[in-house]
Amino acid sequence: MITGKLVIEQILNGLVLGCMYASVASGLTLIWGTMKMINFAHGEFYMLGGYVMYFAIVSFGIPPLYSIFLAVVIVFAMGIVIEKICLHPLLDKPDWDISAFVATLGVGIFFQNFALRVWGERFKSVPYFLEGTLDVFGFRMAYQRIFIFAVTAGVMGGFWLYLKKARFGLGLRATAQDRDAATILGINAKKIYTITFGMSCALASLAAVLLAPIFLINPWMGSVPLIKGFITVVLGGLGSFGGAILGGILLGVVESISVIVFSSEWKDVVAFIILILVLWIRPSGLFGTKEW
Amino acid sequence: MADKRESWIGFGQKLKLKSDHGFLIGTILLAVFPIFIRDAYFLHIMIMALVFSVLAASWNLIVGYIGIFSFGHHAFFGIGGYVSALLAMKAGISPWFGLIIGGIVAALLSFVIGLPCLRLRAAPYIAIATLAFAEISRMTCLNLVDLTRGEMGLWGIPHFPDIILPGIGVISFAGGVRIPYYYLILIIFVVTMTIFHFGLHSHIGLAFRSIRDSQDASESLGVSITYYKLLAFMTGGFFAGVAGGFYAHYLLIMTPTSVLSIGIMIDIVVMTLVGGLGTFLGPVLGAFLVVLGLEYLRVLEEYRFIAYGILLVVMILFVPSGIGKKLFREKQLVD
Repeated sequence: MITGKLVIEQILNGLVLGCMYASVASGLTLIWGTMKMINFAHGEFYMLGGYVMYFAIVSFGIPPLYSIFLAVVIVFAMGIVIEKICLHPLLDKPDWDISAFVATLGVGIFFQNFALRVWGERFKSVPYFLEGTLDVFGFRMAYQRIFIFAVTAGVMGGFWLYLKKARFGLGLRATAQDRDAATILGINAKKIYTITFGMSCALASLAAVLLAPIFLINPWMGSVPLIKGFITVVLGGLGSFGGAILGGILLGVVESISVIVFSSEWKDVVAFIILILVLWIRPSGLFGTKEW
Repeated sequence: MADKRESWIGFGQKLKLKSDHGFLIGTILLAVFPIFIRDAYFLHIMIMALVFSVLAASWNLIVGYIGIFSFGHHAFFGIGGYVSALLAMKAGISPWFGLIIGGIVAALLSFVIGLPCLRLRAAPYIAIATLAFAEISRMTCLNLVDLTRGEMGLWGIPHFPDIILPGIGVISFAGGVRIPYYYLILIIFVVTMTIFHFGLHSHIGLAFRSIRDSQDASESLGVSITYYKLLAFMTGGFFAGVAGGFYAHYLLIMTPTSVLSIGIMIDIVVMTLVGGLGTFLGPVLGAFLVVLGLEYLRVLEEYRFIAYGILLVVMILFVPSGIGKKLFREKQLVD
């Protein structure tokens, strides 16, 4: 039975799911926009965020809020180290887009198997940060989900403002638009690349730590968000930060609603078909302004 | 461009070794070595290397020569395998025909996914559109439980029926023999590469490369982008489908995860890029290196894939454009 209540509940669930997609996708779009490369290890940074969170809470007993902060900072630092070692030497060499893609592929294979061997294949769970549910007009929402929504919305909004107003954000956007011109004007493009890569990893990590109590932590947890993140980015228009957020929410809601209409095993098929149709009709994505 | 080419000068280039010569020498070596080495395990690895050579070479045709960054090539491999296996199991059609029918179905489906890709320019858009297609095929195989048995997979796929070759006698594919399968995939490989070789040395290859280097310029000179892009897609899809059909009737067991997962695609990408994208022999070299390399890394036991990841990064840091470009001289369009 499709009732109005069910649809609204699914839309609310879709919003939470969409937040995850948006936060994973915004990292991908940031990297594509500035560095013009595909980061295939993005899902692994997501996974690393989840593991850091798990060890912080379960092994060291650090309170959840500090753990979130810790996980984001540690993955940010790891992103910077990986960029310095694996991607920096490839900059300005021929075939940059392909070599960077393979390098991140290698990094991804390394981290996934590292997690599998060192931390084991057992699924790990993190306790809920907030217990209880909120009842408004008969709709039930777990506080955990409201928390996810609020934090992601806050971080995305803050990040958007940061990109628009802050000095670093201006430098980042200038580099994304025209690297040579930005360099002439005294912007250290390579430094921007390094920090952007770190930020993008931190965004992936943020999505992971917020969702860790809902989805279990395991070495393969990054592969679904990675594919969904790519779909979101392409749906929203590559390189467009706002497109990634809107695309993520749209994808989350469409997926949640298609569960009601079709059975759940076909929901991804529906999402993929919609993606192909969107690309057919609008080759630069829904909100993309420019064909790359 | 000049500085780029100078850095490529390697061993093979000093000998003025062309990729055509490399291909001939390699094929002869591959054809005679089973006379000396008959170890079943080693033959199995070589068979897998040849299957992946066909896959990587057909992907290279689409990505390296015409410049469409397809990321769903494993779909055609899996579709070819499933079509051929299901035809043999449900309709009793001989795998010899199944191999071809599987390839044709894969080619037709690559036409379908090629159409929306015609309008896309940027690599990530095409990669995602094709990946979405591959995921649709994987989930369809997974969800049509009545037909494909879902994740349980197909097993008991019939092997190739015996054939009689004049002068040699009856060749039987029954009972886990390796040598006939090895020579069959070698023939598929040689036919694939020969067709690619002559195709790429004709006006078709010229049109492919002109589209890769500048789509706008070649379009303004009257090259039909639609025709050549779909041609590349369908040819690549066909040979991937044939390789899939062979794989199904060789291993006799198949699950959606084993033939349609993104892992196969990652293998293809790694092999082609390790060998050298857009070079004739690069994908083949890469396929042999990766398949054999992963076997020899088995000494590291569970740390094998950790080492694989590190080696991949190290390789791309030091040889960013692949080994094929170091070893063999590619014919340049313009000097």
